[in-house]
Amino acid sequence: MKRRRTSGTISVLAGLLGLLAAVFIGCCSCWGVFDKLVPSSKGTPTPARSQATLRLAYSPEKEPLINELVTGFNALGLTTPDGQPMTVETVQLEPDVMIQGALAGDFQAMTPDSSIWLDQLDRAWQEQTGSESPLVGQTERYAISPIVIAMWADVAQSMGYPAQPVGWLDILARAQSDPNFGWSHPSTTTASGLLATLAEFYAGAGKTRGLTEEDVQRQATLDYVAAIEKTVRHYGEGEWALVQRLLSGGRGDLDAFICQEQLVIYYNQQAGASGGPTLVAVYPKEGSLWEDHPLALLETPDLTANQRLVFGRFVEYLQSPETQKRVLTHGYRPTDLSIPLSGPDSPFSSAYGVDPTQPQTALQVPGPAVVQVVQDVWWYTKRHTNVYLVVDTSGSMEGEKLESAQEALRIFVEQIKGDLERVGLIEFASEVYDVVEMDELGKNREALMEGIDGLWAGGDTALLDGVQVAYDRLQKRGDTERINAIVVMTDGLENNSSIDLYDLIAEIEEKNAQGVPVVVFCIAYGDDADMDTLRAIAEASGGDVRRGDPETIRQLYKILSTYF
Amino acid sequence: MTMDRTRLIFFVIIGVALLVVVCGLAISLLPRITGSLGPAPTPTPNPAEETLEVRVVCALPVEPWITEAARQFNAEGHTLEGHPIHVEIIPMDGLAAMGRYEREEFGTEENPYPTAWIPDNRYLVELVNATYKDLRGRDVFLTDGEYRARPIAVSLFAWGIYASREEVLREKYGEIDWHAIHDAATAKGGWPELGGDPSWGYFKLVVPNPRKNVGGLAAMVAAAGEYHDKNVIGVEDVTDPAFQEWLGELMGAVTDFSSLGAYSVENLALFGYSMGDGGQLLESDLLVNMQGIQTRWADPLVIVYPKYVTWFDFPFTVWMGPETTAQEKNAALEFEKYLLSTEVQQQAVKRGLRPANPNVPLDGPDSLFVKWQSQGAMVIVPRATAMRSPDRDVLLALLRWFDLNVAQR
Repeated sequence: MKRRRTSGTISVLAGLLGLLAAVFIGCCSCWGVFDKLVPSSKGTPTPARSQATLRLAYSPEKEPLINELVTGFNALGLTTPDGQPMTVETVQLEPDVMIQGALAGDFQAMTPDSSIWLDQLDRAWQEQTGSESPLVGQTERYAISPIVIAMWADVAQSMGYPAQPVGWLDILARAQSDPNFGWSHPSTTTASGLLATLAEFYAGAGKTRGLTEEDVQRQATLDYVAAIEKTVRHYGEGEWALVQRLLSGGRGDLDAFICQEQLVIYYNQQAGASGGPTLVAVYPKEGSLWEDHPLALLETPDLTANQRLVFGRFVEYLQSPETQKRVLTHGYRPTDLSIPLSGPDSPFSSAYGVDPTQPQTALQVPGPAVVQVVQDVWWYTKRHTNVYLVVDTSGSMEGEKLESAQEALRIFVEQIKGDLERVGLIEFASEVYDVVEMDELGKNREALMEGIDGLWAGGDTALLDGVQVAYDRLQKRGDTERINAIVVMTDGLENNSSIDLYDLIAEIEEKNAQGVPVVVFCIAYGDDADMDTLRAIAEASGGDVRRGDPETIRQLYKILSTYF
Repeated sequence: MTMDRTRLIFFVIIGVALLVVVCGLAISLLPRITGSLGPAPTPTPNPAEETLEVRVVCALPVEPWITEAARQFNAEGHTLEGHPIHVEIIPMDGLAAMGRYEREEFGTEENPYPTAWIPDNRYLVELVNATYKDLRGRDVFLTDGEYRARPIAVSLFAWGIYASREEVLREKYGEIDWHAIHDAATAKGGWPELGGDPSWGYFKLVVPNPRKNVGGLAAMVAAAGEYHDKNVIGVEDVTDPAFQEWLGELMGAVTDFSSLGAYSVENLALFGYSMGDGGQLLESDLLVNMQGIQTRWADPLVIVYPKYVTWFDFPFTVWMGPETTAQEKNAALEFEKYLLSTEVQQQAVKRGLRPANPNVPLDGPDSLFVKWQSQGAMVIVPRATAMRSPDRDVLLALLRWFDLNVAQR
């Protein structure tokens, strides 16, 4: 009986538990279905309607200014009518990446270096969405700066400046006639790089205005631009990074480069105290262009009323007399015309290498279609590259370090858009191994990706041998038409090479002077990398050393890719 | 009995389990449905029930003045039949506003129909009326009666040219007009060929982008007037191939149509002679920027009045559609009266606008017309032949030509 009763109770309890389980499972199922159907504010990118944080993308050359202005605005402690704190968050992006981010809805406002990008953004938006309404909404300005040729004072003097006006053609002629004259401009993904390229195309077409797509694509124009681009020492990640490098590393191998006027002031302000060489802003006689730093609201579907309010208040703040005076002290020309450039606190004087009455004239800005063609064609006319990626795969690279480095190498290869650029891959551990032969990316891009995927760590560190193998190959190739470079990365100390450092440096110095100039860019990966050795190699070749770690290595390779 | 008790326990447990699940579900869903995790909203009085909202879409050249007047009007606490009136100004280029009316883009929750519109010129009102006559069978803006469109200020198009450049042009051509400007614009050798400084490069004309600023369209109409030497322009005039070739050459001298084309005089002032030697632009914009140009650039600006004058009359126009109430329409009229008051009209003069109120003098103490007489500003415009407002087809033909021949260059 007890046994039966127990048995009956167990049956009931078992049934009860089964039913509860069924109810639970049913509820979970209902919940799952409901969760899919009802939009949630959690875990989705859709902002709450009351969102009052405005995400602002800005171009790198404005970093100090934007940081100061945004900090000042956020410190005001403004609130929206519904009590949300008004804040601006920033993200630093190159203009071309900014356009992609805007199309993806990553931010609600942007301030690139030039309005040129806003036209391109709206074109891309209309192509992407088919919408007649532009993505770029209210647009305001708060700071402007003309694009100039920045030259060391003694170089400018040697060209007769300022008594003699200097133009694009003078720079190009000097670069063609004097192999020791080093000049560079950023790629066409920045306004200053685009201007330099436009100036070349204008010169090639024999015009100062009315540049057409046909002009740009004419063979004679392309040949002219290609000949000029061959004189470029190397490209780079942008004017801001270049100026930072000059401030930290000294004058280097460049006599002239293209940047906005504000950076000449910035450099002279920073370097002036040390008594080092100063820069002069040369306003090209054929005409300049302006970086007008527009601040644009993006009319994305997710834009909230509060974000629109924040934008309005931020504009008011930027255009207020106090803020405009701060804009001036940073070396920009403020948009408030009541602020004189010649005031007592103004840096606009010959002491800082600039002339506020300049520029006298400007080049005509072509329409967005022509600008796009110039950007596309530039990849074929630019100075091409032979570059070896030399990678440390010793035992210490095992694990996350190698994985991050592999991803960074893939990004490097992806970033170089031109199929005519030549890239090869060498790895070194206890010995040196050829992974992928150097060839045009149009032919070996896939092989490079596979080679990168197949890298594995083990053995010692034959760093010097790795560099020497790549260096000798570039010397044997004897290709002086192209930029020749090595990007070498190591995480440890040299311990297994057949050549010693002094012999390698002697070889680099001798052959760079008499044979093919090869620039070596070194990446010291992690804290254990041999900085002294890397610095010695970089200095001997006119290159540079950068520090990286698994967090930053991707960005570092991405930056280096802009040099080619 | 034992069975009954077991059954009871069974159903109690099931009931409790269901209750727990349902309550949990309800608590989880509540924030999604109400849209917030905060306490339940308490009813608050809706000010819109008491306040009469007047939304005014306003042309850009008068927007700073109107916005300031609206701020003052709101601060003074004006009422209508006991209801406070609140005015909101929405800056918008006249052509952009016309497009939004014509595409019926007003009338949404985000963009309700404005109570009133202040376009640059009366002909924009007529164009919208023509569209709505087709759509609704009647005018949406009135041309007579209490609610008729009334100018609140006027301004005209004049040449604004940097003084050093104007001197050279006058030396070469005697008179500055569209023919002289065309000749300068097409000079292959640029300024040296015209007798100017080689450092000035080629002659650079400023014309606002007509897709962003109705002033650009006005400039093209004025150029057509001088080309054909008449003040009434028809479609046949602007589609004349010889004229279009001439206009194309003229537009070839414009430095930049791409950037922020709605603010041409501001561009002329900000970027100075590097981006533009001069252009035919709105007198009020020129006067407002004269001081800034002198502060920023070594070369001052000179104003020259043309033979054929294009006027902008900035009519205050009340929307007559059923989307706004009679009280809102009357509240808009209150704001219009305020704008025409002597005190507010004097503020217009300080901003380089010519007052619509005849009792307000142009040569008062803070008048920009007096201040800049030395630079060519005139209280009374000489030898003025007014350009007649072009009809819709003329404007469309010009815009189409611009899109095909200039915007895509």
